[in-house]
Amino acid sequence: MNIVVSYDISEDKRRTKIHKVLKSYGQWVQYSVFECQLNDTQYAKLRSRLNKLIKPDTDSIRFYFMCACCFGKVERIGGEQPRDENIFFAECADG
Amino acid sequence: MGTVYITQEDAFIGKIDERLNVKFDKKTILDVPLIKVDGVVVLGRATISPATISELLERHIPLTFLTENGRYLGRLEPEVTKNIFVRKAQWQAAGESVQAIHVVQAFVRGKLKNYRNSLIRRQRECSDLDLSENVTRIEQAIAPIDTTQSINSLRGLEGTGSAAYFGCFNQLIRAKEFTFNSRIRRPPTDPVNSLLSFGYSLLRHDVQGAVNIVGFDPYLGYLHCDRYGRPSLALDVMEEFRPLVVDAVVLSALNKGLLTSTDFVTEPLSGAVSLTPEGRKTFLRLYAQKKQSEFKHPVIGRKCTYQEAFELQARLLAKYLMGETEKYPPLVLK
Repeated sequence: MNIVVSYDISEDKRRTKIHKVLKSYGQWVQYSVFECQLNDTQYAKLRSRLNKLIKPDTDSIRFYFMCACCFGKVERIGGEQPRDENIFFAECADG
Repeated sequence: MGTVYITQEDAFIGKIDERLNVKFDKKTILDVPLIKVDGVVVLGRATISPATISELLERHIPLTFLTENGRYLGRLEPEVTKNIFVRKAQWQAAGESVQAIHVVQAFVRGKLKNYRNSLIRRQRECSDLDLSENVTRIEQAIAPIDTTQSINSLRGLEGTGSAAYFGCFNQLIRAKEFTFNSRIRRPPTDPVNSLLSFGYSLLRHDVQGAVNIVGFDPYLGYLHCDRYGRPSLALDVMEEFRPLVVDAVVLSALNKGLLTSTDFVTEPLSGAVSLTPEGRKTFLRLYAQKKQSEFKHPVIGRKCTYQEAFELQARLLAKYLMGETEKYPPLVLK
């Protein structure tokens, strides 16, 4: 499933932690916004990890689910482009 | 899901949280979530942290080591699956058993039919080519397969068919700067052979992974005889994919001019030809695109990618060896 995760965390340290966890599950597209493509298990894992980190009375995290059809219609002007997930290269930028 | 290729010499492969983090010169050059990774291939030298190794094993992500020219060195394989029944069936069929002969017939038929079909397709595309003689020779090798009951004779048929195919491989290359005379390995001494060898190494990484997932022992094969450290079964299953995946990628890379003679370097002493870092990246990308391309599987009847087909064929083989199906159908595409 395609999920847009946005978060609003009051404390810097906690926000960094949450940011780090989200980086393992999706792509950072804007400040406080991630796009994730996950299956049910991965989503459950992510949610439980985030659940342990946040303070629900001051923080908030939102998961917006998008159907495959709507996800294909996302328009992007500038900023992060979706990552090519078929192949990853580890090499130095200057060769 | 994608494969990670570590092409940077002396990179450090570590893990942060649930991500694979590759560093060079203390700078991060790649950082991907492990849930997006289905294989790691190291080309050349790299250091891997102990934590990463156990994490890769835990997640059943195979790690393959190739030299920087793409020669296969070895791999770190997650635990062999617990499905003892598949392995038992595999061992019971070893040698010259009825099942072994059937699957060898299928592997050879699959490979040669794909060779024939790709020649016929090329001929249709370029009207000035005349490959009919080679097609006939391959067909002559295909015809007796079903009645041949000895594995050694089947190996002979495979050899005849392959010779006919590689005999006209040069005509398939439309780029003037490249020529192909015969298949040369260890080391390949011309660009085309070097690409073929590199491609087959990559294909082997993928097929061996698939064979392992299904639960086979990759070292016991039927067409390829047992040799210390040779994953014969992976090589067997690979046969039908050679023309479909690797040869197709090599030909399109050369014919579309995506790789030119400046993308190759020759080692002075051994004459071994290999790709430059830039050319290697181009080729790896083309190979990955090919693996992800979709086609309709003739037996299953639904769309799948080549990547999925590796595993599908291995599963079909398991089903046949365990007596659940009558036949092993090799993947033959028109």
